[in-house]
Amino acid sequence: MNHRIVVTGLGLVTPIGAGRERVWEGLLAGRCGFSTVESFDTSRHPAHVGAEIKGFQPEPYVRKQDPAKLGRASRLAVAAARMAMEDAGLDPDALDPDRAGVAMGTTSGEPLEVERFDDLLLAGGEGEIGPELATVYPCHTIASHVAREMGTAGPNAMIPTACAAGNYAVAWAYDAIRAGRADLMLAGGADAFSRITYTGFSRLGAIAPDVCRPFDRNRKGMIPGEGAGVLVLERLDRALARGARIYAEVAGYGLSCDAHHMTASHPEGDGPARAMERALADAGLRPEDVSYVSAHGTGTPTNDKLETLAVCRVFGPSPRVPISSVKSMIGHTMGAASAIEAAVCSLAIHTGRIPPTANFLEPDPECALDCVPNEARELAVEVAMNNAYAFGGNNASVLFRRCEAVA
Amino acid sequence: MRRRVLRRVVVTGAGAICSLADSVEDLQAALQEGRSGLKPVELFATNGLGPQQAGEVRPFEPRTWLGDRNLRPVDRTARLLLAAAQQALDASGWTPERRKDFEVGLVLGTMYCSIHTISEFDRRNVQLGPSYASPFDFANSVINAAAGQAAIWHHLWGVNSTIAAGEASGLVALTTAADLIRGGRATAVLAGGAEELCHESYLAFHRAGRLGAQRPVPFDARRDGMALGEGAAILVLEEADAAAGRGAAVLAEVLGHGAAFDPTGGEGSARAMERAVRLALEDAGLRPEEIDAVSTGANGSIEEDRREALGIAAALGGHAAAVPVTAVKSMLGEALGASGALQAVAALGTLRDGVLPGIPDLECTDEGFPLPAVSAQSRPVAARRILITASGGGGHCCALVLGQG
Amino acid sequence: MSSDEIRGRIKQIIGNVAGMDPGRIQDGDHLRNDLNLDSLSLLEIGVDVDLAFQLGLPDERYKQIDSLPAMVGLVQERMEELSSQQQRVAVG
Repeated sequence: MNHRIVVTGLGLVTPIGAGRERVWEGLLAGRCGFSTVESFDTSRHPAHVGAEIKGFQPEPYVRKQDPAKLGRASRLAVAAARMAMEDAGLDPDALDPDRAGVAMGTTSGEPLEVERFDDLLLAGGEGEIGPELATVYPCHTIASHVAREMGTAGPNAMIPTACAAGNYAVAWAYDAIRAGRADLMLAGGADAFSRITYTGFSRLGAIAPDVCRPFDRNRKGMIPGEGAGVLVLERLDRALARGARIYAEVAGYGLSCDAHHMTASHPEGDGPARAMERALADAGLRPEDVSYVSAHGTGTPTNDKLETLAVCRVFGPSPRVPISSVKSMIGHTMGAASAIEAAVCSLAIHTGRIPPTANFLEPDPECALDCVPNEARELAVEVAMNNAYAFGGNNASVLFRRCEAVA
Repeated sequence: MRRRVLRRVVVTGAGAICSLADSVEDLQAALQEGRSGLKPVELFATNGLGPQQAGEVRPFEPRTWLGDRNLRPVDRTARLLLAAAQQALDASGWTPERRKDFEVGLVLGTMYCSIHTISEFDRRNVQLGPSYASPFDFANSVINAAAGQAAIWHHLWGVNSTIAAGEASGLVALTTAADLIRGGRATAVLAGGAEELCHESYLAFHRAGRLGAQRPVPFDARRDGMALGEGAAILVLEEADAAAGRGAAVLAEVLGHGAAFDPTGGEGSARAMERAVRLALEDAGLRPEEIDAVSTGANGSIEEDRREALGIAAALGGHAAAVPVTAVKSMLGEALGASGALQAVAALGTLRDGVLPGIPDLECTDEGFPLPAVSAQSRPVAARRILITASGGGGHCCALVLGQG
Repeated sequence: MSSDEIRGRIKQIIGNVAGMDPGRIQDGDHLRNDLNLDSLSLLEIGVDVDLAFQLGLPDERYKQIDSLPAMVGLVQERMEELSSQQQRVAVG
């Protein structure tokens, strides 16, 4: 069937705020969401900084379900989904439920439930332990709770491909609509801050001591964060018929697998390069057509160097295409990251502005890119590429383009 | 009349490890003979809680399939997967040489991947401090870890994805892989599911009231819950022309699939299952009467079994009364992410042998049970097309038709 | 504990983490260059060594260790340090 698919709504809950307007304004202003970790004790950890979301209240957004029965990632996801629908000017109750669905990505599901389980087990044994690891924790609950809140009965997927999951979810949703199985999909990702994730990354020595400085010569690592991002994807003809605001069109995507190492990327950027090339081929575009790239850009010494290698393989040495990483501001929101970054790409196209890579002090000769240092920029963005790379070697690139059908 | 699709998807090999058997042929034979893989749990201490039996894979010696390479960084879930994948690759003729130059992908269904590994990682952190948390365990604590381990171990550098849909994960993974092939994004994909048995999930399911006290007998009026199982099952799905081009043996074809979601949290799942089956039939271009047998995901759960049956029957209409129906979880337990793929492996056996496994110990069904052609014994069926169904994961209903043209 | 015993135990740990025969590890081997251990494995070995000998050393100490002799030396030094601390406690 191969329908054209457009982005008509954006919902974002991030360490620098919630809602499309507030978040975009913050990103353009270079606002950072890093602070000393409060949700658990980091005194024995080598790192202490995180990008937690403070003061999030789920009640305004979680209306059909009891927020107390949802894990944190689900609450963030439902909130982002509801914001996205409102942003799209759509009433969930007015949807044809059989033709609307949900695709979400995550890294950890609801890790706070595992922590609770472990704390109880270590404190007093099994007696106090409840059913939560079967009822609240499993990551499919995130997509399930979004569907229950929005009443969607169409295609549903939970794709836990870690730090690339948001892109995988957008790709799955795109395919579902193109194949005629749905007319509208809520697609995105969510992850909650946890000691499990934080301890893991600190164990790998991957966490920066102060801020995230992607592509900077003295970058020391990533800053774990949390959040949710949801996009409303619709068939173009339907979006036009209802006079929807169209942010961008989904032009295509490419996936690849390193098959190399569980936590380290391929040393020549092979997998990421293949994902980019595949996305371009899928969209019928060439590297020179790309106006802006939203980088994976975690800020670790290795990722940024290998990502640069991969970008240069595709775009040529010393590429001129601006590439910025919003992880410099909101940290690494894990499964939400590439969903939030997909929203960034959509907004870049829609507003003609691109966000900076914040905290940039000194260029790194091994990252010879235009990383849009510190200042947002006006730029007519025709095509934006969203890159994401994950543990286990899951790489995904999604392309967005200006939709000419917009009046 | 078959609906025309641009690319047809065939099955060129399979692998399986579960409580009942550690090969595809043995599993298919054992199910047809009505043997059960449920046994007293030894993998962890049940402390007298719950039914204390499960579909545990025992013995499990991964080196049988995986040789001498280092398994220390690989946890139980991934080892089950690696073994099943090795079998599938061997069976399908996808040798290491062939895989060097050609991208073979993997789509894995799993509910937890490894909740045990994640918990162990966290417990060590809590008890000994963050410096002692295991980096290997952290690498395995992401839900796509097993799929990543398999890609590395077996050099599967094609499309790689993980799907989490609870008890329906394995079947949803198969349909996702089929769609990738139909959509021209892949030519050969390993697809299926993997799940391990562990103390953490066992305790949680017990506390959730999901586990029955007796052996699970799906659809039986006396049923009182399920038993957990574990395992891994992988099918090699390929684009039909490419498979023919390399001279691969074809075990079956993916004729069609459908899925729907129940957003009501339970009561709507019969309707969602009905839609899933209708969509699968439509996708396959088949009328209900052309389905020769149904392999359901019923696992002994009181409400869920009933709803799944209602949904299937509603979609099959008049044919519901006559079509032979089974539920292999009666013998395997509920292997969560692996279940749908284990059902598919069992279905391949039925297609080949013309025998549909029974539901051991089934005595009488609920009043008004809409799929009366169930049996405690296995029986002959002239099987050309088998409908496989799965439900779970907070509302997923999935249906797949496997068969011969 | 003699340095031979320490070395033997460390070889066992490396063998276990890396899936190699401890007997094939040479006394002077470089962890990355000779034994091909990647950074994830080195971190895991550090944890296992620390637990095996009850050293209580922070991560950072292991990051500097790049050879088997250096690892043996670290363990020996730390065990002596701990043992003399215990003696002081016993005496005082």
